[in-house]
Amino acid sequence: MNRTPDSSPVASHPNSSSPHTFDEKPAAGRAARGLASKPTDLDQYASQPASSLGEDDLKSCCASFYQEDLVAKVLGESYHPGGLRLTRRLGAALDLQPGEKVLDVASGPGTTAFLLARERQVEVEGIDLGQETVAKATDQAVAAGLDGKVHFTVGDAERLPVPDASFDVLICECAFCTFPDKTVAAGEFARVLRPGGRLGITDVVIDPNRLSPELRSLAAYVACIADARPLQAYQTLLESAGFEITQTETHDGALAKMIDMIGARLDLLKMTETPLLANVTSAEITARVTQCRTVVEEGIAGYALLTAVKRDEIRPQTR
Amino acid sequence: MTSAQTGKKSEETPLPSTPLPTKRNEVFLEYTKSICPICKDVLDAETFAQDNQIFLRKRCPEHGEFTARTYGDAEAYFATMRYNKPGTFSRETQTEVKDGCPLDCGLCPEHKQHACLGLIEVNSNCNLDCPVCFADSGTHQPSSFSLTHAQIEKMLDTFVAAEGEPEVVMFSGGEPSIHPHILDFIALAQEKGVKRVVLNTNGIKLAHDKGFARALGELQPAIYLQFDGFDEATHLTLRGRDLRKAKQAALDNCAENNLWVSLTATIEKAVNEHEVGKIIEFGMGHPAARAAIFQPTTHAGRMIGFDPTTRLTNPDIVAYICEQLPAWFRKSDFFPSPCCFPTCRTITYTVGNGKTCIPVPRLIEIDDYLDYITDRVLPDPDDLRGALEDLWSASAIPGTAITDEHISYLEDCAACGITTPAILDDLADQVFMIVIQDFQDPYTLNVRQLMKCCVEHITPDGRLIPFCAYNSVGYREQVREQLTGEPMPSLIPNAGEPAPLLTPTPYGSQTATPATVHLTQARAKKDHTTARNRTNTGKNLR
Repeated sequence: MNRTPDSSPVASHPNSSSPHTFDEKPAAGRAARGLASKPTDLDQYASQPASSLGEDDLKSCCASFYQEDLVAKVLGESYHPGGLRLTRRLGAALDLQPGEKVLDVASGPGTTAFLLARERQVEVEGIDLGQETVAKATDQAVAAGLDGKVHFTVGDAERLPVPDASFDVLICECAFCTFPDKTVAAGEFARVLRPGGRLGITDVVIDPNRLSPELRSLAAYVACIADARPLQAYQTLLESAGFEITQTETHDGALAKMIDMIGARLDLLKMTETPLLANVTSAEITARVTQCRTVVEEGIAGYALLTAVKRDEIRPQTR
Repeated sequence: MTSAQTGKKSEETPLPSTPLPTKRNEVFLEYTKSICPICKDVLDAETFAQDNQIFLRKRCPEHGEFTARTYGDAEAYFATMRYNKPGTFSRETQTEVKDGCPLDCGLCPEHKQHACLGLIEVNSNCNLDCPVCFADSGTHQPSSFSLTHAQIEKMLDTFVAAEGEPEVVMFSGGEPSIHPHILDFIALAQEKGVKRVVLNTNGIKLAHDKGFARALGELQPAIYLQFDGFDEATHLTLRGRDLRKAKQAALDNCAENNLWVSLTATIEKAVNEHEVGKIIEFGMGHPAARAAIFQPTTHAGRMIGFDPTTRLTNPDIVAYICEQLPAWFRKSDFFPSPCCFPTCRTITYTVGNGKTCIPVPRLIEIDDYLDYITDRVLPDPDDLRGALEDLWSASAIPGTAITDEHISYLEDCAACGITTPAILDDLADQVFMIVIQDFQDPYTLNVRQLMKCCVEHITPDGRLIPFCAYNSVGYREQVREQLTGEPMPSLIPNAGEPAPLLTPTPYGSQTATPATVHLTQARAKKDHTTARNRTNTGKNLR
């Protein structure tokens, strides 16, 4: 099940027969950006025997496969749960000091990089998969007079194009959940941080085991947006990669708010009678959004902030 | 008292009957100033939280203690504070600081905000005798006034001098539509460069005079139409007459003449709070209506009896809306207006077509733009913040060019992640505004809010007096006396509590009995230096 979600909004474009007109904006929401390097996952999705999925799951996944593209677009490029407030919270939790070198993985349009450069006087390198996104963010940096302190580079979270031990801090907002190989990505995070360097992540957390049967089919949908894990699973993953967790916080309200935003923007699009949503009724949108909210309200899915320190030496895991 | 507390001692000698210290069941919040609702003297006051609500309490040495409920949701009260936008200086003020707030109106140099909206009461005559009227207007009153062209011009000039290019002028009354020169006044305000001109009306003339509606259609002011609900009982209680047919006709005449209407409802507890949802639904469905404005009854002037400790406040109206339209609204869809004190006005916008209703705050992360306490906002090259500030202010009048431009802009911007603006252009007409405005009265008046008020009465003698001071402190009586030449009694809210001190005025409102007046005057004579402002004067008072 966890593989199917890897179909990305960007990658889905060529296969999507939807007559939408969004091609001029190929960079989808940052939440999905990490996936774009894996177009082959699409094929996996296509070739997966139907028997491996419950019928409902399949249907739901198909629907969401289509919608996911939409959801990413609906959220725009710059949005992540919690908005600027949570970014500031992350900056404070990491105790960013003026002059420190920060790597922002999945930097999107650069909103976070600009904020941290302005308010914390740090130097930020932003990495993002989308070529156009990076070009746009670079233009923005010049326009804002921040090009001396903020740079953007095209790159993949699983093969970060930066030297070993070259950063004081690494941040990754609402993107880790989307990386197909989280172990590799976590290893990359550890590689590029100096010993004692800090890691700050905000991300979707979900506990698939707690989904009730009637919500089980939703798992596929939720997972399609993000291959999210329980907070504990992220912690274990990062610890294995050589990090010591220093702080975790939950911000579930931020996720509920994001779901509201998705719902509101879908409703708005529906009102424009765009052919993009011709196959979905308003009632279906409402029902889906309500389901998603329920999952958050019941604490099954949420949003978390996590900070960690890279241990001086990476101890072998088995001893 | 438990036996453990009293202990052994009680067996030996009887304790004096002093009770053990008991805990206060309220949380003290701040020390501020208010007025005595009876004698209008300035008093020290305190706000406190109790049962997740906010109250204001003050004590007049002559007339006793007064407590009023000022905000129905303490948690929301604290959350609103970060939306408090720094004020803007007026180009000029009209008075000097002498006795302190609220006695120097206005505006005095201590005032914290410029005027977003200037209100002109063109007359005191009305074609209704509503049981509820903060302006104490009516059909056959012992004295009345009707302003002249020259007076209006002077008032507009005062406002232009203070504001440069004033945002909004609202003509009110009395009933302004029955003033013979109201059309001239609207045109004059437009000529003077006022960006948005609003006519406040009960709609009776609009309903019955198609020629008047057509003439207004040519001038294109925005219309604030008194619209309290759909039940006959609501109309009879608040207006003394069943006006439902007139309201419908007025609205239809507005639609016919492309006049945009804000449905303005006075909401009184146990009268029409159950109708807020229906008013919104109706407004969204009527082609002329672009906004619903809910005002908890202003308990100044003429009113039906009320209890200040259970009166309605903004969060209560929000709660009613959410209860009555649960599929459309949640509490988090409503945001305070940053330009005045944020507890005074709460606003949201929706995009809707009758079937779907999308609260605009769900489309944008508003907190990223309107957080003034940390004042660290997103680099905002498109000035989305500017558009939001205008939309969440007293200047926002749906149907006026500027506000509509901001609405379209906001939609485009909000949607910039999803599509091209062209698709959304059609939606501009489907935006509906909801405003909840709690005006202060002699019970709830708190100078902290008053000092940042941005809704000002323009007076014929060239002052700009904050709306709530005008209605509560005694300015209305003062101005009316100037304009009619007849002495006006000082008005006191009909709150039940001070009933023995009250007697009706010929206007339908309440004033102090001669005995009460005598007491107050005697005290004033004895100590004339502290009679008006009794704050900080030591042993004389407390």
